[in-house]
Amino acid sequence: MSGQPCWVSEEGLVAFVAGELEPEAEVAVARHLAECDACREEAVQFRLLGAAMAEEAGAEAVRWHAFSSPFGRMYVAATPGGLVRVSWQQPGDDAFEAELHDLLPGRPVLHDPTDEVLLETERQLTQYFAGERESFDLPVDLETLPTFSRRVLEALREVEFGKVVAYSDLARRIGRPRASRAVGNALGRNPVAIVVPCHRVVRQDGSLGGYGGGVEYKERLLAVEGRQDLLRAG
Amino acid sequence: MDGSGTAPPASVSGRGAVRIRDASVAAWVEKHGAELRRHVERLLPGPDAADDVLQTVWITAHRKPPEAREGPALRAWLYRVATHAALDRLGSERRRRRALEGRALFVAPEARPAPDAALEGLGEGARLRVREHVAALPPKQRQAVWMRWAEGRSYADIAARLGCSEESARGNVYQGMKRLRSELFGLWQEEAGA
Repeated sequence: MSGQPCWVSEEGLVAFVAGELEPEAEVAVARHLAECDACREEAVQFRLLGAAMAEEAGAEAVRWHAFSSPFGRMYVAATPGGLVRVSWQQPGDDAFEAELHDLLPGRPVLHDPTDEVLLETERQLTQYFAGERESFDLPVDLETLPTFSRRVLEALREVEFGKVVAYSDLARRIGRPRASRAVGNALGRNPVAIVVPCHRVVRQDGSLGGYGGGVEYKERLLAVEGRQDLLRAG
Repeated sequence: MDGSGTAPPASVSGRGAVRIRDASVAAWVEKHGAELRRHVERLLPGPDAADDVLQTVWITAHRKPPEAREGPALRAWLYRVATHAALDRLGSERRRRRALEGRALFVAPEARPAPDAALEGLGEGARLRVREHVAALPPKQRQAVWMRWAEGRSYADIAARLGCSEESARGNVYQGMKRLRSELFGLWQEEAGA
């Protein structure tokens, strides 16, 4: 209150609140805060600011987790809005993190093997591969996709286990009957494989068509769903 | 030995009576407890407040022990944890008071009264306002502040990501934090000084 300048600079306060000071300086600043109302007030504000940013970062963060599956190491990622990525065939953890940075620019990416949605995803996918589950009860966040892709993928979520639809059927379902090729492109970029079942889309003539991860995976997924009849020469 | 291998929890009973079955924490209480209590009582008047803060310190020390087990680094760690806990308590008293007065914590022209939710966490309004002000910082400051304070990255990491020196990363964080504080708490400061 005295209006005298303090020996602790504003930088010093920021560094104290961030826990960056050397031990002697740390104790000295702590003791100064007990005596100086103005500096204590500033330090409280820096703590509040830091807490607000940490909360904001937590709310924005993309969390990921990886586990073993019949397809190899399975990577899953989610925002607070739901799953944003289900992927295998990743070269490694760093590559997956880099991909998430590209998918959701500017958002913090955290490896979080304790996240509830991610653990639930692991559980449900594991059950699915074991033939113990036919539908997924998981939130999916498609907000970052272009509107057209989102409509295609949302319509696709209605296609049930063991059923297949043609690209043209899907185009009709979203009211764009002549957009089969665009539908194919949107499916090829489905970020949430398996849970959003793009493997259930085949050609009008009954041949399998393509699959982002390689057609052998499409065959294996359809086999999980009891559709061996659709497989080549089958 | 039951073979569980985990230390028993620090047990805290009654006001001020801290009973801790963690040998190192107990030794720290013995050696530094009185000094820390005097420190916290200066920060926060009233015996209850100091008890709460000290309990936080000892529980933290038990759950996430500091790297330094003794000497000046340990003492500094104890002072830091105690002081941060005391500042947080002061901060939450501010938040509570402002929420009761129907005033938002962070002042902005469009500020609306903070809802009761502001008692827990900072409330959506305050978070959004922080986001707006962070977004309005110059690019280097914005990135540096966010990586340091929101994501908790080291200066070396930030420097590598921004393609600058650690010194410059540090400078950008300080400048950004100073600016955020003066923008977000401007009115509060005026009131306090009035």
